[in-house]
Amino acid sequence: MNTLHRHRRLTEIWSSETGARGLFSTVNHTDLGRMFLAVSFFFFLVGGVLAMLIRAQLATPHSAFAGPEIYNQIFTMHGTIMMFLFAIPTFEGLAMYLLPKMLGTRDLAFPRLSAYGFWCYVFGGMMLLVSMVLGIAPDGGWFMYPPLTGPIYSPGINTDFWLIGITFVEISAIAAAVEITVSILKYRAPGMSLDKMPIFAWYALVTALMILTGFPPLILGSILLELERAFGLPFFQAEFGGDSLLWQHLFWLFGHPEVYIIFLPAAGVISTILPVMCRTTLLGYAWIVASATGLAFLSFGIWVHHMFTTGIPHMGLAFFSAASTLVAVPTGVQLFAWIGTMWKGRPSLRMPMLHLLGFFFTFVIGGLTGVMVAVVPFDWQAHDTAFITAHLHYVLFGGFVFPILAGLYYWMPHVSGRARFFRLGELAFALVFIGFHVTFLAMHWVGLLGQRRRISTYLPEDGWTTVNLISSIGSFVLAIGIAMVIVDLVLHAFTARRSRRDPWQAGTLEWAMMTPPPAYNFASLPHVDSRQPLADDPELTLRLARGEGYLSEPEQGWRESLTVEVATGKPDFHIIYPTNTRLPILMAAVTGVFFVSLLLKFYWTVPLAVVGVTILAWRWAWSLGRTTDLPPRSIGRGLTLPNATQVSRSPSWWGSALLLTANATFFGSLLFGFAFLWTVAPSWPPPAWLTSSAPELALGVIGAGLGVVSIRRAARANRKGQDARPWLGLTFVAALGVAAAAGGVILRAPTPGDHAYGATLLVLGSYALFHALLAALMIAFLTARVVKGFTSPSRQAEFPVVTLWVDYQAGASTLILVVAHLPGLLA
Amino acid sequence: MKDILRILIAPLVWLASFSAVYGLHGLICGHGIGGSVFGLVSVPRLLMGGAYGLAVLLQVGLILALHAARFSSPSPFVRFVSRATAWVGLIASVWTLLPTVVTTYCL
Repeated sequence: MNTLHRHRRLTEIWSSETGARGLFSTVNHTDLGRMFLAVSFFFFLVGGVLAMLIRAQLATPHSAFAGPEIYNQIFTMHGTIMMFLFAIPTFEGLAMYLLPKMLGTRDLAFPRLSAYGFWCYVFGGMMLLVSMVLGIAPDGGWFMYPPLTGPIYSPGINTDFWLIGITFVEISAIAAAVEITVSILKYRAPGMSLDKMPIFAWYALVTALMILTGFPPLILGSILLELERAFGLPFFQAEFGGDSLLWQHLFWLFGHPEVYIIFLPAAGVISTILPVMCRTTLLGYAWIVASATGLAFLSFGIWVHHMFTTGIPHMGLAFFSAASTLVAVPTGVQLFAWIGTMWKGRPSLRMPMLHLLGFFFTFVIGGLTGVMVAVVPFDWQAHDTAFITAHLHYVLFGGFVFPILAGLYYWMPHVSGRARFFRLGELAFALVFIGFHVTFLAMHWVGLLGQRRRISTYLPEDGWTTVNLISSIGSFVLAIGIAMVIVDLVLHAFTARRSRRDPWQAGTLEWAMMTPPPAYNFASLPHVDSRQPLADDPELTLRLARGEGYLSEPEQGWRESLTVEVATGKPDFHIIYPTNTRLPILMAAVTGVFFVSLLLKFYWTVPLAVVGVTILAWRWAWSLGRTTDLPPRSIGRGLTLPNATQVSRSPSWWGSALLLTANATFFGSLLFGFAFLWTVAPSWPPPAWLTSSAPELALGVIGAGLGVVSIRRAARANRKGQDARPWLGLTFVAALGVAAAAGGVILRAPTPGDHAYGATLLVLGSYALFHALLAALMIAFLTARVVKGFTSPSRQAEFPVVTLWVDYQAGASTLILVVAHLPGLLA
Repeated sequence: MKDILRILIAPLVWLASFSAVYGLHGLICGHGIGGSVFGLVSVPRLLMGGAYGLAVLLQVGLILALHAARFSSPSPFVRFVSRATAWVGLIASVWTLLPTVVTTYCL
């Protein structure tokens, strides 16, 4: 097969459908990455317009530009859009577009999951936009503190839009995090051991793991607050055993890591671009990896620094103050590594470099004010003032927007295949930089003068008029700068001249292909021996196009790739991907019906949506696998690999393990919430405990244990070529036993609306019931697969996946039953 | 996967011990645990200090383990990064839990 023939054949196999239809059925990571980025920048513009409205309102005292009700919606939506609909999706889009190319593979691990996540993001974002257009947008601030956002003080639908819309959007983040983690760990070019991974992949891996463990507490908080609002379960009402501080804990358990979830991908962009702009290699690669990892963990230990004024004892404050100062150390290590990179190289002041310099100047200031507010006495003075607003903008704009703009200019030739022609970008950068600093330096100042955040107006005698006017003028300069960046990029995309391949002379693999990239990325997959494969072998691009790598001969029209061992990068499995399908958008739409039903309180459509999602999920999983054994696939260079359906640790197993990690964090947060209320909230102990029932407890615990044993016996029977169905049947019955025990907790719990104890038991019991029914459904699915011949002694991959879920539900249910029954037993 | 675990283990243990000590602090203050041991040191201070010592000892143990041939990675890169993150865990434990022995506990 010659090069041109190979290109045509691979294009035919990997291409999305043509025209608008392709938008709805594509599962290709390049398409979805671009779509993610386009939508996230649309939301960036919407959020930017809202920022202009805020500054128009605050430009003068006694402003009548917007009344307080509308102003509350404006600042709430500005924060919400920028955090949830711009920053995180931009990371997801960038990672989706770049990672397979940087890692030397053809697609992400679960292409349909990428598409499902994208459509959940679009539909969830649209819900929030619709609320804004209708004038019923959320208005409780982007962190939605109860009791302000509870049913008593916010009775309208505004808060529900936030709680339900954001939870919908977070499905997208969790899906992307699973996708990105499995892709980085398993879907790399042969030879790419951990030490040879591009630095952006390390940052993306750390970020994705943080999303998996950082987002569940907020999802839990949103569910609990919505349950309080919709059904009167008093999780946050002190007089009924709840505590509004529980929300703050859950929110900031997410919210502070969120800052680093936003910063770390941007740091990955910096670490990738800076060495290229300085014509050298990154200084301290291993130090940077260690720092990013350390930073990620430390960021989970500082959530209470947002709660320094809530009356927490001094020792508690001191823990979090100490941890907050400590995060400056790994951040500093990265900054010095970047400075060292510039020192050892020959910096060239091209367009991306300008934005990187903007990052350095801005982010260092934001970091230093961060250390200031980490010190408790200073924070008591500055808390909830415009100083904090200015600080967070220095961190987030400096630490995310400048690097992302650098990334846009850097990878634009890759996306468009064109070189910059017009020179608007330099002027745009100057306006953005000057406008930003005028706006937010002034905001620091007015904050120290005492201006509270979120106020809709002020008096002339407050003495803030001039500073606010300066800040507003700066913000409009900033807006003009951003508009010019967009004009520059649009001109670039449509009118610029063709770019040569690898215009920056970079050494990473995303440039070892034609630009714009083909749907299949690489005609044959590279073997990697260093971190800069393209710099080491400038002929690599041509050699891969000629088919001198792995999987150069397409077989049977399959979309093929391979996976590697996590640490060594040694090839281990052959992968066949699913093709274009509308299933993800359909499933996202039905998921949307579920959320919209909850929002509008059409509860009769909720079960319909659940059944719809179940049917589609069944169809989704059913279309994978095959009814015959595949022989080992020759992948070239003398290697043959087994298919991933014929191994025990398939990509689906990895995906399930990571999803369960997020799930376990959710469950852990729920248990934390229970312990917190019990320990800290007033009005405890409750009027009555759950009456303990030994038979019910025994049914659940024995059912859980039986399930764990019998699913393993089923897998063993399958491996030996025996009939697995009797053991699967027993596992099914065991799951139903656990479901019955969980149902008992729900039915016999004290009235949930009377006290937070009963409400918590209801949620814990529902969690156990949901997982038991889910396990039963998975066992039914696996039984159907056995019956239809999708399994064999060698096609065994589905058993370990179901085993994971059965084990998880057994562990979680047992813990829940013990927690629910123990107080009654002791009493 | 063992290499990923080697890199993550020490910060993970720090996060667990940090949360546990914060939880213990909540229990002591929430349930009004008091009293003293032989009139020398208060029970809360003893509990908090003991938890602090245990957390630091765990980190020291991890550093020693990651320097031992039996547990360290064959990859020089992973060996370096895992030892660096182990030091992160130790320093974080010593610094962030220091308040257990120097500040008032329920004021």
